[in-house]
Amino acid sequence: MRSRKITLLGPEGTNISVFFLFLVFNFISWFTLFTLSNDINLDFSNILIRQIIFSLISISVFFLLTYISVETFLRFIDIFFVFTVLALLLLFTTEPRLGVRRWFDLGIIDLQPSEFAKVIVILFVAKYLSEKKFNFISVTALIFLIMLIINQPDLGTGLIITFVVISMLFVSNIRLRYFILIFLILLFSFFVFLEFGIINENQLDRINNFFQEDEIDFQQSQSRLSISSGGFFGQYFQEIQVNKVFVPVETTDFIFSAYAYNFGFIGVFFLLLLWFIFFMRLTQILNISSSEFDKYVITGFIVLLAIQIIINISTVIGLVPNTGLPFPLLSLGGSSMVSIAVVFGITNRIFIENNLVI
Amino acid sequence: MFLRNRFNYLAVFILFIFSFILYNIYFLQIIRSDESIKIINSQTFDIVYLSAPRGEIYDVNNETLATSSLEPHLFINLRKINENNIIQYKQYLTYNFKEISSIELDEIFQSKEILYLIRNINDLNFTERQALLELDAFEIFDFPIRKYEFNNIASHVIGYIGKPTQEEYELYPDTIKNGIVGKSGVEKFYENKLSGEAGEIVFKGSEIVQFTPPNPGESLYLSLDINTQIVSTESLEQGILLANENFELEDIIEKGAVVVIEIETGNVVSMVSLPDFDPNKFVQGISSFDFNQLNRVQAFNNFAIQGLYPPGSIFKVVAYWLAENEGLFPEGVENRSNKINCDGDLAFSFNDGSQQVYNDWKKEGHGNVNLSSAIQQSCNVYFWDIALKIWRSYEGNPRESILQEYASNLGFGSLTNIDLPYEKSGVLPDRELFEEWRITKPELVRPEGWLGGDLMNLIIGQGAITTTPIQVANAYKTLLTGSNSSPYLNKELDKSIKYNNLDIDEDFINFLLSDLNLVTRQGGTAYQAFEVLGNRSNEIGGKTGTAQNPGDRNSTSWFVGIDSISNPRYIVVTVVEEGGSGSAVAAPISRRVIQHLIGVELTPVKFGEITE
Repeated sequence: MRSRKITLLGPEGTNISVFFLFLVFNFISWFTLFTLSNDINLDFSNILIRQIIFSLISISVFFLLTYISVETFLRFIDIFFVFTVLALLLLFTTEPRLGVRRWFDLGIIDLQPSEFAKVIVILFVAKYLSEKKFNFISVTALIFLIMLIINQPDLGTGLIITFVVISMLFVSNIRLRYFILIFLILLFSFFVFLEFGIINENQLDRINNFFQEDEIDFQQSQSRLSISSGGFFGQYFQEIQVNKVFVPVETTDFIFSAYAYNFGFIGVFFLLLLWFIFFMRLTQILNISSSEFDKYVITGFIVLLAIQIIINISTVIGLVPNTGLPFPLLSLGGSSMVSIAVVFGITNRIFIENNLVI
Repeated sequence: MFLRNRFNYLAVFILFIFSFILYNIYFLQIIRSDESIKIINSQTFDIVYLSAPRGEIYDVNNETLATSSLEPHLFINLRKINENNIIQYKQYLTYNFKEISSIELDEIFQSKEILYLIRNINDLNFTERQALLELDAFEIFDFPIRKYEFNNIASHVIGYIGKPTQEEYELYPDTIKNGIVGKSGVEKFYENKLSGEAGEIVFKGSEIVQFTPPNPGESLYLSLDINTQIVSTESLEQGILLANENFELEDIIEKGAVVVIEIETGNVVSMVSLPDFDPNKFVQGISSFDFNQLNRVQAFNNFAIQGLYPPGSIFKVVAYWLAENEGLFPEGVENRSNKINCDGDLAFSFNDGSQQVYNDWKKEGHGNVNLSSAIQQSCNVYFWDIALKIWRSYEGNPRESILQEYASNLGFGSLTNIDLPYEKSGVLPDRELFEEWRITKPELVRPEGWLGGDLMNLIIGQGAITTTPIQVANAYKTLLTGSNSSPYLNKELDKSIKYNNLDIDEDFINFLLSDLNLVTRQGGTAYQAFEVLGNRSNEIGGKTGTAQNPGDRNSTSWFVGIDSISNPRYIVVTVVEEGGSGSAVAAPISRRVIQHLIGVELTPVKFGEITE
């Protein structure tokens, strides 16, 4: 274990900017859900109460992870990886919901293993890249895990993980010509998947329809209207508000639409600025850390969060077909909140091990 | 090996995508925003409410006091206004309606409302109205105009209307859509009955897709008689004028009230409070200058139910009743006809040995007085003697507040629950209240608390006691009918509900009436005021009251009149704030009202004899 000089907030220490931004994103989520909640019941059916409970769980997870050293992760990542694969295999025993086997029903929370698979894969790849043992076995294991996720079917998460892994390979010293090879493999596997029905016709149809027809689907066109009516300052602070357009699943995947309606372009700019600041803080690790593992993990996290935000907003404003991906730390949902809390928690640990407290 | 420069390429790539997304949001929220809001408005239904005509208010003879006439008004549908036609509409309005200023014009077109009321077009003829409708954005709807036929007369009873406050929105959830609410008087008390149901104009986009006309409010029939009301208003005005001429005061006398109630039913026949106001001024919105002017003289206070005054000698009937009922007469007096000698002052001592001298209003004294002549001449000494008897017999035990018990049975110290808002209850002091005040309002009471002197003050209606004119009228009504019930303005209410039956026998009522009659006869305090009636004054009953006020302020002038002692029908209560002697000011005002009630020729109010 590397030595630490300064500790703040708790025995193991906390990086103030990481924790502060984590809280701010939570508060923004509460406020946005507050504008959507006309429910006066103060029980678990109230979306705001639910999100506050999820937030409290997330904050606990954040602090618990502060106690787990980076070394521990390095030592146990293979076991975590195996557990994840097992969890994904166990999903085959569950009852499909809407034709999809993606969740374990744990009562109040639906546990979604693929949410946590993203973090596990980043740690796994970072370990093998930093130890220069990124060989055939690890690649095969990775491909197997991604296939399991795509098979749920959860094409969105599968592609995100693939993109994150490729980004991490890109920043390593792999020769660029290999990327042409990876691209060819991806193209090849796409047709293989198609042949074996792992990617089904419906998924393709959705993409085809999206790019062929002039009109995007109902959910997205409603969402575009809603965002557009937010204007520059947003409707929340207006005396006479424009009617709120109905947008399906506005508390979860499409929450950005409600956020943009209420707080306008200023609000959107502010939110993206906060994320930009957060990413800029993360790049400090790349400058000062002597550990390759830290750098790969941070790169993975930045790409993971950025790609989720990009795909979510693109969906909500109708640039890409509907994928069903939550906005990190804004959407209502336990699995998503906790998995992002894990990302922030590990990030925090990496910061304090590098003696960065602000 | 981690390659930092490759990470930079990656970061630039991600930043590029973020910029692209931000540009798309910019396009949606800034460039396309207005267009989207239009699409939303065209997709959703919006309801604009049209005020319902409020119910009419009638007096007892079905004379209209307040009406709501429906008059055509020009509205503009602002959803149909766009940059292409706005100039055209602006020009049309300025050309046709010259009274619309450019500021008002800007207000109209910058309004965020869907439908904007431009003006009443009752003055336009049919073809002119049709011409207006040829412009697409103009709409004509009937809009109610409240009119109060008698202006200032009965303004406090009827009340006025205005835009609802936040509190009123919560108080009257059903009437909120009308955009107008009763602010005082029966307009407020019967808000739910009068307000009606607002009409609904349903918009889809800029088009009206459905129209439900408003439902008028229910009519209200009052027991008020507008003719009596006019007479009592005039009489009170004349009396106040005379009082100002006859007294040289620093403050001008301007406040007063007259209440006339029917004895059998408790119906309010007339209720005047001065100064008054014209409720018509509120219909189009009163100017703040006018409002402040009226507010400064407390014109919005209905002194008949809100004015709190010490009752003075009119309160003596309580002791009169108590003396008869309990056999509690002055020391050495056995019954109502036994006399005591009043020589103008009363010297006595309390148990603690303190010597006191109380002076009657008449320095030379009233001579030999019994209960009847004590009421007739308003002799204080006789009633002080009764108070002393009570104090000496019962001090410290529960019966010491027997006078307050009798008073509270008549309704003193509590609300009459008349059907008007903001009624006040006044104060009926006793030992308990003084103990409470020693803590909460120590400046009002002596540190010793309730003493015999307080009871002696109370028995002649002085000291801490305060009453409202309606309370006094209702108390006399209770005494003459033997049961306590609320006075009402609404003719249609059930009048059979009585609070409690007081065991009062016919003989007592007859004694009381004939003794009250003595007041208006020769030797009575109100003789001069009623002299003009000649023989008819033998039928009238009354009681004067002159309640002293602290400091240099002139006394409160009271008179309670009864139109007939053989067949009592009405009680007339008059009060003039700082009006001086009851017999000089309040009695002649009441006399003129009684003249009207018994149907004899009205004679002007004359300044009467100063007594008490």
